[in-house]
Amino acid sequence: MTKATADLLQGTLDMLILKALSLGALHGYGIIQRIQQMSDEMLNVEQGSLYPALYRIEQRGWVSSDWDTNETGRRAKFYTLTRAGRRQLEVEEASWDRLVLAIAKMREAS
Amino acid sequence: MRWLNVLSARLRALFHREAVIRDIDEELRLHIEMETEANISSGMPPDEARREALKAFGNQGRIKDVAYQVRGGGMLEALLQDIRYGARVLAKHKGFTLVAVLTLALGIGANTAIFSVVNELLLRPLPYREADRIVMLWEVNPNGMRNNTTSRSNFLGWRGQSTSFEGMAAFSDRRLGLTGAGGEPEEVSAQLATPELFQVLGVTPILGRTLTAEDGGPSPQAVAVLGYGLWQRRFGGDPAIVGKPITLNGMSFTVVGVLPENFQWHISTRSGTGKPAEIWVPLNMPTEGPGVYGRFLSVVARLKPGVSTEQAATELRTIHARLAQDNPERNTGWGAEAVPLREQFVGNVRPALLILLGAVALVLLIACANVANLLLSRAAAREKEIALRTALGASRMRVVRQLLTESVLLALLGSALGLLFAWWGIGALVSISPRDLINLEGVSINLTVLAWTLLVTLATGIIFGLVPALEATRLNLNDALKEGGKGMGGQGERSRRLRGALVVAEVALALVLLASAGLLIKSFIRLQTINTGFNTENVLTMVVRLPDGKYNEAPKMISFFRQAMERVRSLPGVREAGMVNFLPLYGGLGSATDFTVEGRPVPPPDRELTTSVRVADAGYFGAMGIPVLRGRNFADVEDREARHVVIISESLARLYFPGEDPLGKRISVNMFGEPRPTEIIGIVGDVRYDSLTDEARPTAYFPHPELTYPFMTLAVRTNGDPAEMAPAVRRELSAIDPDQPVSDVRTMNQVMADTVARPRFNTLLLGLFAGLATLLAAIGIFGVMNYSVTLRTRELGLRMALGARPGRVLLLILRQGLLLTLVGIAIGLAGAVALTRLMSSLLFGVNATDPLTFASIAVLLTVVSLIACYIPARRATRIDPMIALRYE
Repeated sequence: MTKATADLLQGTLDMLILKALSLGALHGYGIIQRIQQMSDEMLNVEQGSLYPALYRIEQRGWVSSDWDTNETGRRAKFYTLTRAGRRQLEVEEASWDRLVLAIAKMREAS
Repeated sequence: MRWLNVLSARLRALFHREAVIRDIDEELRLHIEMETEANISSGMPPDEARREALKAFGNQGRIKDVAYQVRGGGMLEALLQDIRYGARVLAKHKGFTLVAVLTLALGIGANTAIFSVVNELLLRPLPYREADRIVMLWEVNPNGMRNNTTSRSNFLGWRGQSTSFEGMAAFSDRRLGLTGAGGEPEEVSAQLATPELFQVLGVTPILGRTLTAEDGGPSPQAVAVLGYGLWQRRFGGDPAIVGKPITLNGMSFTVVGVLPENFQWHISTRSGTGKPAEIWVPLNMPTEGPGVYGRFLSVVARLKPGVSTEQAATELRTIHARLAQDNPERNTGWGAEAVPLREQFVGNVRPALLILLGAVALVLLIACANVANLLLSRAAAREKEIALRTALGASRMRVVRQLLTESVLLALLGSALGLLFAWWGIGALVSISPRDLINLEGVSINLTVLAWTLLVTLATGIIFGLVPALEATRLNLNDALKEGGKGMGGQGERSRRLRGALVVAEVALALVLLASAGLLIKSFIRLQTINTGFNTENVLTMVVRLPDGKYNEAPKMISFFRQAMERVRSLPGVREAGMVNFLPLYGGLGSATDFTVEGRPVPPPDRELTTSVRVADAGYFGAMGIPVLRGRNFADVEDREARHVVIISESLARLYFPGEDPLGKRISVNMFGEPRPTEIIGIVGDVRYDSLTDEARPTAYFPHPELTYPFMTLAVRTNGDPAEMAPAVRRELSAIDPDQPVSDVRTMNQVMADTVARPRFNTLLLGLFAGLATLLAAIGIFGVMNYSVTLRTRELGLRMALGARPGRVLLLILRQGLLLTLVGIAIGLAGAVALTRLMSSLLFGVNATDPLTFASIAVLLTVVSLIACYIPARRATRIDPMIALRYE
C-alpha cells in the first residue's frame, strides 16, 4: 500500500485540520492522530508542520484555543472549531468534491 | 475583522514576545512527549521512542521560526528594531540629518501651508445648511459678460415662474450711516434683502427673529436684523436689543433680531460696498414704477432636493427668454445663469491656488532629489555595513526595508519641523493676502491638513529613499567586504549616473518653477506700468456718503459738497482737490448707459451708443492729473448750478465722432428720466475706471449740479504725504456737519496696490517657491559636484602630478556640472512650454511661452549652477598631488 506523501497542499492541510476538529475539541497531537485514523493511515503529515497551519487557521478565526488538561490529567492546548470554521469546512469540502469530480470525469474521458 | 485578529496577534507578539515564544515551545514539547509515550507504549525502548518522535516531528527550529512568524512575531518587531537602529544612525550623522531634515521641512512645510489654504477655500464645506443646494442667479449681458445683477422686474419673473427652487431671495449691498446709540456716527455695510434670504441660507437668529414676508413687499417695514459683530461692537451685546430703535441714514428702524456669530454672507462680485454686511433691512419690492427695471440686485436661491444646477439653469434661461419676449426693450440679448455657491466664492482663485499647489509639489520633488542625492553619497560609505548584513543572511528585501524605515523616519522628522514652518507660513500668508478678495482668516492646520501632511510625508520618505535603498543593496559582496574595497565598490558608474540624473531632474524642475514665476513677474510689471490715465502720486481719497434722511433734496447735497470742496481747497498743503462719484479702480462698478447725439437719427435698440457716466467737479481732473486735451474744464458757475454741459473722454470722441469736432455738439444721456441735451465743452484723457486690464471705456462727465449724487469720493492732491492730510480733511468735513461719516480713506497709491493685490500675492508666492526651488537645486548641484571631486581626488591628483594646470582642472569640473545643468535646462524648457499654458489665465500682456522670459531664466539658472559648481571646482584645484596619491 503506498502512502500519500506529506507534501500536501497547504489548503488541503487546512481542510484536514478543520475536518479533524469537526468531531470535537482536540490538542495538536490529537489532530495528527485523528487525521491518520480518518484516512486509514493513508495520509502521513509531517507532525511539526501542523502547528504553523494551526496558528494561521486560528488567526483567521476558524478555530479557538485554550490550555486545559486532557483525560490523563496532562496539560495541553485544545483547539475547538468555531462557527466560521464550520462554514469554512463546508466550503472547502464542496470545492474539494468538485475538484475530485472534475478529475474523475477527465480520467473517464481519456 | 481578520486584519484585526492579525494586528492584535502582532501587537501581542510585540509586547509579550517572551510569552508567545514560551507558549509555542510548551505546546511543541508536549506534542513530542505524547508521541514519545505513545512509542514507548507500543514497545519501543525510551531512547529510540524519543528519537522516533523527534524524527516524526520534523525540523523543530524551522517549525518554531515559522510558527512564531505566523503568530505575529517578526514584522512589528523588525520595524521597531529598524526604527531604533535608524534613529541611532541619524543621531550619529548629525550633519547629514540636519541638512536632510531642513530640506524636507522646507518642502513639506510649503506643501502643508498651501494645502491648508486649498482645504479652507476649495474643500471645506461652506458654512450654510446644505450649501451645495445654494446657487447664485445672475444675468448675462448681450456682450456675454457674466455675473450681472438683475432688476426687480426680472427677479419677480424668475421667482414667480420657476419650479426648480425651494426659495429665492434678492439682495443689494449698501453703506448706511448709523448714528446715535452712544457712538460716533459711522458707515456700516448693510444688505437690503428680500425676507426669504434667511430661509434660503438656512440661518437661525440667536435673538429675536429674521425678516418675515410681512416685512418685505412694495412698502417694507422699518425693521433691521443685526449681525453679531455689529451687535457686540456698537451695542455691547445688549441682550434686550430686540425691539429697540436704531437710526439708519437718519431714519428710525426697529431691531427685530440678531444673527449668530459665525454667520457671514458676502458676495464680493457686484457688491456695492466690497465689505461683508453687518446689518440687514428689507428691500422694497414695488411691482411697477420706474424702479423695477434698474439692474442692481444679486439673487441667491436654494435648489429643491434632487434638482441639479444645470436643470435649474436651463429652466432659468427658458424663463428669461420669456421675459425678453414680454419686455424686449429691456431684455433683448440678455441671458441668465445659475452659479453654485462655491464656484461663486472661489471660482476666480481656484486656478491660482492649483498652480501654487503644483509649485509646492515641485519644490518638494526637488527636496526629495536632494535628499536622495545625500543618501546615495552616503550609501557608498555604508557599503560595508550592508554587505555584512547581507552576508549574515539578511535578504535584500529586508535591508531595503531597513533603509526605507530610515528614510521615512527622516521624512517624519522633516515634517515635524515642516509643520512648524507651515504654522509660521500660514500666519505670513494671512497677513499678506488681499483680505477683501480672499478670506484666509479661517485657514489653520486642522485634522484634514495633518492627515494630508502625513500622507505626503510617507510618500516623500519612499520617493527619496527607494532608489538609494535599491542602489545600496545592489552590490558585489566580495568587492565590498574586501579590505580597501573603498567607496566606489562595484557600483561607481551606475551611482554616478544616477546622481547626474537627479541633478538634471532638479534643474529641470527648478526651471519650470522659475519660468512660471518669471512670467508672473513680467505680467505684474506690465500691470504696474499700464497707463491708467491718471497720476497716483500724492493723492488722498475718501468717500463721503450723505444720509438720505437728512439730505433729501439735491440743493442740500450740492451745497454740502461745494462747501466741503471749498474748505478742503483752502487747507495748507493741498494743491488741488476735486470729487467724483465713482473713483477709478475703487473696486466696484460705475454707471453706464446709452445716449443719442442731437441731429443724428436714433439708432435701433441693438446698435445704441453707450458710455460710462461720471459725476465730477472742476477740481477733479487737476487733482487726478487727467489732462484736459481740448476745450475747457467746468467753470465755477457750472459747479453751482446745472448749465447742461458735459465733458467727454478722448475715446468717446474718437469712437462716436470720427472725423468730426465734438466740441459744441449736444448729446442726450439716458440718465435723467427725460431727454436732456447737454453741450460738449471739453475733451479729457482716457481713464481706466473698471479695471487695470480693461481698455478705457468712453466716458461722459457731468458736473455735480447737473446729475446729483448723495455720495462722492474726494480726491485731494497734496504737497507732502497725502495720508498725513486725512485728519485735516476730516476736520473740515465735520465742521460742516459733525454727524457726517467718511469711509474708505485711502491714498491713490493704496487704491492701486489694492487693485493689484491678488496678482501681487500670486507673484510673491510663486516667486518665493521658485527661489526656494532654485536654492535647493543649487545645493543639490553643489553636493553632487563636491562629492564627485572627493571621489576623483586620486585621479585629479594624478593629473596635476602629471602637469595639468589648475585652470584645466577647474574647467574639467565646471564642464561636468555645466553639462548636467544644460541637459536639465533643455528638459525643463520642454516641461515649461507644456505647463505654463495652464497659467495663461493669470497672465497679463505676456505670452505663456514668452521666449525672452524663458531665455533669461535659462541663463539665470546656468549662472546659479556655475556658481554652485565653482566652489567644489576650486577645491579640486587645491588638491595636493602628493597627498592625493597617498590617499588610498
